[in-house]
Amino acid sequence: MPRRLRPVRGGANQVCMGMQLRPCARGWLAVLFLGLWPLGAAHAAQGTRPAQATQAIPVSQTGRLQPAASVANDDARFASQALIDTVVALLPEQLVSALPGSTEVAWRSLPQDVHGRSLGGTIWIDAALLPGWQQITREHAGALTPAAVPFNTSELATNKVDVGANVSLHDEADAAARLRRASPAVRALIHELAHRYDRSRAGGVSRDPRFLDLAGWPRKPWAWGGRGDRNGMTDRSPDAYELSKPSEYFAVNLEWYLLDPGYACRRPAMARYLAERLGAAPIAGHPCTRDQVFAVPASEQGGSEWLSVDPARVYAVDYLLAEGNEQAMSRWGHSMLRLVICAPGRAPGPDCRLDLAHHRVLSFRAFVGDVQISSWRGLTGSYPSRLFVLPLDQVIEEYTRTELRGLQSIPLDLSQQEISELVERAAQLHWSYDGRYYFISNNCAVETWRLLQDSVPRLTALPLRGITPNGLAQRLARAGVADASVLDDHELASRQGYYFEPLSARFDTLFAAAKSSLALPQADALEWLEASPQARAIWLEQGDLRTSAALLVLEEAALRRQELRVRDVLKRRILGESDAQALQARGQVQQWLREAEFLSRPAALSSVGYGLPQLDERAQLQQHLTTLAARQQDGDRAMRELARRWLPEVELRNLEAAEANVAVIGERVRTLAAQ
Amino acid sequence: MSCSLLVAALLAVSVPALAGSFAGSSAGASSAGSSASSGSTSGDDKVVLQARDDAASFIASEGRIRGAQLEAALRYLREHDPDARQASDLALAQAILAR
Repeated sequence: MPRRLRPVRGGANQVCMGMQLRPCARGWLAVLFLGLWPLGAAHAAQGTRPAQATQAIPVSQTGRLQPAASVANDDARFASQALIDTVVALLPEQLVSALPGSTEVAWRSLPQDVHGRSLGGTIWIDAALLPGWQQITREHAGALTPAAVPFNTSELATNKVDVGANVSLHDEADAAARLRRASPAVRALIHELAHRYDRSRAGGVSRDPRFLDLAGWPRKPWAWGGRGDRNGMTDRSPDAYELSKPSEYFAVNLEWYLLDPGYACRRPAMARYLAERLGAAPIAGHPCTRDQVFAVPASEQGGSEWLSVDPARVYAVDYLLAEGNEQAMSRWGHSMLRLVICAPGRAPGPDCRLDLAHHRVLSFRAFVGDVQISSWRGLTGSYPSRLFVLPLDQVIEEYTRTELRGLQSIPLDLSQQEISELVERAAQLHWSYDGRYYFISNNCAVETWRLLQDSVPRLTALPLRGITPNGLAQRLARAGVADASVLDDHELASRQGYYFEPLSARFDTLFAAAKSSLALPQADALEWLEASPQARAIWLEQGDLRTSAALLVLEEAALRRQELRVRDVLKRRILGESDAQALQARGQVQQWLREAEFLSRPAALSSVGYGLPQLDERAQLQQHLTTLAARQQDGDRAMRELARRWLPEVELRNLEAAEANVAVIGERVRTLAAQ
Repeated sequence: MSCSLLVAALLAVSVPALAGSFAGSSAGASSAGSSASSGSTSGDDKVVLQARDDAASFIASEGRIRGAQLEAALRYLREHDPDARQASDLALAQAILAR
């Protein structure tokens, strides 16, 4: 596991204690004072450690890294020299030249789990790491310069690199370089240098808004701004210590940026940011795959989908707004983003707009692992907020047919590069983000706004901040980012897929069509839908193709209403009764939902690797996804049985009758259409 | 506010699985009365399958209701089937319902 490197306990306070000091020195003085106590405490607790531990072992001068005052033996001097040489060779030029003043590097005993610490002008490395480092330098004297040696994160984590017996000189040098890079002493020195740089005049990385956006400290939606102090990018982290505060995130990420050739593939946006701020990492990076992968859980057929998106195949991104309805939870609509992905073989262009089957939707949702949604828990952040990736067809089905809400798809004016970075950010969130849903301050509109501006930095300058999906749509249009004019012509918008009307908008037309040839007793569509399935059944085998087509759509709508009703009845029965059976049923449902949650959190599929999954991890993730999906299908079956047991006789009969109606009218339409 | 909190509880994860499956089919209402809506449908068939509601609305309204899923299916059929290129929208919509 990654080591925890704590520079100074309690050093979070950037207190300005000396007004006369130069800016870069102030923080250091504070750090020095605040650092004294925990150091002393640690020594008291570890009285058995050798006295030699507190003795500074000098290292030779390399650029701005300088020796401490006291002297020790030649072996230690050699090892320390090698440490500085190794690390300096790994640092980007800009970083080295920006390091403030002179820095001493020395060894001393540090508390357990603390590998490095900065005090004043001295960086202390834990003396316990010295023997290990000396062994590496003794056994592998060559290869001080970094080479493009691939190594993976498990090597980093376990500090073991397999060196074969018959390796060439080059391989041996590579292996030595890898061993050096995997040493915790190297990490510790880089980590402390990061802090030193961060606090310097040129630094300030951990206070840079762009850095905080990419790292995951969320901007708040209020007009007066501010940021949340919880970083939600908790999954697939290389070292959870990075989440403790922005300065640690920078220090930890600098370690990985400089030491892991795969970093730029796993955290591409942060790697680009660091390269821009500090210069390219001298170590050669791995080539990255262009596509981003997503685990899409539980489609409506109960399966799951492993989705690979090549950003170059994404022609456009639309702001997808599900219109509000009368229910309190959905009055303000729902914010999503639609990826207009081109069908295989089609050149990216406007024609891709009708490749609906290939489009995918990014949708932040609260995951509620219970039978009942609690408004209170929604207000207080008890539900996790995750980024789901769904097929557009499924989203159309869910909103326009089941919930009877319209969908507006408003194109965003983004460059191809911006689209690519948005897909990349979406993947990063998909694999790492486990946020907290707050009904007001962290809902889908806030999350979508944040995703947009974290991927496309130019949007941060625009007044888009807000807390409602409708409001975000309006602000995007006002700022010229979204082109809502596509909705002006309703008919054209429906044909071209900028608007998906709720099925209910068709009810009257369809009912009128059916009634024109059949003497239906009901006055209007609503009355027809409310009639019992048995009362509707007698009319289903009488009409011509046109009439039957109308009745088919209406019967399906009736079945969906029936299903929603069943869901309600079940919920009330299982929640409403307090006997042992009801409690057991509720437990079963909760268990089933918990398993579904597991599928909704893709990072839970495997603990190997960090950040975006790389090629070697993808196969394993895919396999786990398949296994879990199969298990969930078993769970679904059990749920079906449970539901059947708990449904009142009359409801079960009505449901089965409604299903039979759909089957009958479906078959009739098929037969008539084939003639 | 708003958003799809709702869906989460039972709907997002599997309303169709829970509610639509008493008769043994987990496809639920999305089957659109079609016998071909098992989970194993290929991507190509999906375009046509998803257009079933739109095609039925189109025929019932004598061409007035034209949804994007129907347009997508019409284009798909014309791109993949030479015969379909000559056929009228109405004829193709009927062909979609005949599947």
